Amino acid sequence: MMSRHMLLAIAVFIGAAFLPLVFRGNDYILNLCVVAGVYAIVVMGLGILLGWAGQMSLAQAAFLGIGAYTSAFFTTHLNWNFWEALPAAVLMSALVGFGVGYPCLRLSGHYLALATIGFGIITQLVLINWTAVTNGSDGMTGIPAPPPWGPISFEGYGTYFYIVLVFVGLSAYVAARLKSSRVGRAMHAIRENELAASAMGIDTTRYKMLAFVLAGAYAGLAGSLLAHSIKFISPDSYSFDQSVVFLVMLILGGSGSIGGAILGAALLTFLPEVLRPLKNSYIMVYGAAVVAMIIFMPQGLAGIIARLARQNSGGAGPRAQTASVPQSAAEGA
Amino acid sequence: MHVDSIANLQLLINGLAIGSIYALVALGFVLIYNAVGVVNFAQGDFVMLPSYVAISFLVPTITVYGVSLHMQLPAVLVYLIVLVLMIGFGLLFNRIAYLPLRDRGWMPVVISTIGVSIFLRNFAQITWGSQPLSFPSPFPMNTINFSGLHVRPQDLFIIAVTAVLIAFQYVLFEKTPLGKQMRATAQDRTTARLLGVRVTRIVSITFVYSVLLGTIAGLLVSPIFNVTKEMGGLIALKAFAASIVGGFGNIPGAIIGGLAIGVVETFGGYYISSSYADAIAFVILIGVLLIRPQGLFGERIAEKA
Repeated sequence: MMSRHMLLAIAVFIGAAFLPLVFRGNDYILNLCVVAGVYAIVVMGLGILLGWAGQMSLAQAAFLGIGAYTSAFFTTHLNWNFWEALPAAVLMSALVGFGVGYPCLRLSGHYLALATIGFGIITQLVLINWTAVTNGSDGMTGIPAPPPWGPISFEGYGTYFYIVLVFVGLSAYVAARLKSSRVGRAMHAIRENELAASAMGIDTTRYKMLAFVLAGAYAGLAGSLLAHSIKFISPDSYSFDQSVVFLVMLILGGSGSIGGAILGAALLTFLPEVLRPLKNSYIMVYGAAVVAMIIFMPQGLAGIIARLARQNSGGAGPRAQTASVPQSAAEGA
Repeated sequence: MHVDSIANLQLLINGLAIGSIYALVALGFVLIYNAVGVVNFAQGDFVMLPSYVAISFLVPTITVYGVSLHMQLPAVLVYLIVLVLMIGFGLLFNRIAYLPLRDRGWMPVVISTIGVSIFLRNFAQITWGSQPLSFPSPFPMNTINFSGLHVRPQDLFIIAVTAVLIAFQYVLFEKTPLGKQMRATAQDRTTARLLGVRVTRIVSITFVYSVLLGTIAGLLVSPIFNVTKEMGGLIALKAFAASIVGGFGNIPGAIIGGLAIGVVETFGGYYISSSYADAIAFVILIGVLLIRPQGLFGERIAEKA
């Protein structure tokens, strides 16, 4: 059955498909569209981990990096093409997610956050120092674009955007199916109360692991997509600060919602560009905007949109009530 | 053999000095965490900001916001001015980043402290430029020679000031009414409020105290590292690691954790690999988390919500 959400999502994706036509020739904006799509995938993955299962990770940029470097290594050193390297990147990030998640998920809350920070920093140092594979801080160049389909070349951002868009759609679809499934409900139960969930017979370790691996796989997919778009990668792009940006995107978007994750990613990718006329003070304003948004938009963008939708449909009654429910996504973790 | 033991002693002093910095910043984390249950991601910027403010008045000429400033003042006076300014900053930070969000769980507060951190770093970059600035030490930077043992006076100064601060904090917390109220608030806010503690005020005093610890750490460490907008980031992460290694929420644990990470990192950087020196703190951290998740001195307690 097609829900209203589904129809809205399809409409948004069709709308997004026109972006390359609207901004034809403007490589700068098109590149941002690609980046926003790529980040949306990472943030959706983080949404599964934090928004549903209630487990914090501040290492998503590291998983993005692992995906990007895996894909870059296989295509430049072993001459694989994009379509062969992409699944390898997803698999590699998922495997590392498994390896890291296994010990780390014994921790919770701030402790887990810190262990993931540690993992992120170690990953970045390995990317800088393992020069044989990663070419160190100079980064890797000459990452090929996906092979052309007949007359369609994917060298430019305009066409590449469609590949990203398809993967954003697929990722959102998988997440949406998962959310309403037994797995999604189990994860929600863990987030609300891990002890109660395990008393109900939910194998909490297994579902937390699954969430961690999925978040890794999403970031790996995004990493591969990013590497073949900008064709150059270097370790500084996969820093702790970038992981923090992903977290902010998720929380500002609305941490339980798939649409919110995509919106948050798009908003924070474009916000610095909108603020660019402020010259060099724009990142400062961006920081202040993050504080203002978290204070004045408690449910994130998804919450605001849901409220507007409710107002339009005439049901203004329960508004005050829903708005005052605290966002408990990560509380009790 | 003799040379080795002298080299090791020198490494130990260096390690204790940098470890003291981690310990001060770790204390800042722990005090705020105990008071309000939130990890403050702007803690590192409490180290960076005062260093920039201080350097503006410590060097003969400096360009601040495109304007060249000639306001060299005596170091002691500068340190005092900076401490007073940072008290104001601590109150403001508590007002903006914490108070409006205090009833909404820890995640929104974490995000707002991240926002403040982004703001401050870029404020620093705009105001003082992106070039690293070198901070004049109140002491000569060349080493003193104690029969073969070369020691930087600044390192000894760091260790001494940290020791005094720790003693001060002990007296404050154990012997004064204010300290008792701070401890009561950290233990149980609701009960403290019922017993007449003005919790909101105590929390803001805790924020100010934590900012001041960062400030002192910044003024102490700046002559060793250059002043950059990123200087606080890595210090704060390692201090955070230190506080967890020591047992999160545990004050002696944070101090010992900080010193331990400083020492192990210095030795590791010398004997194992200097390019992975920054990773050592986190390897220790993950190891401790796996073997003894409550930290070296922590009791096994559930994570505070």
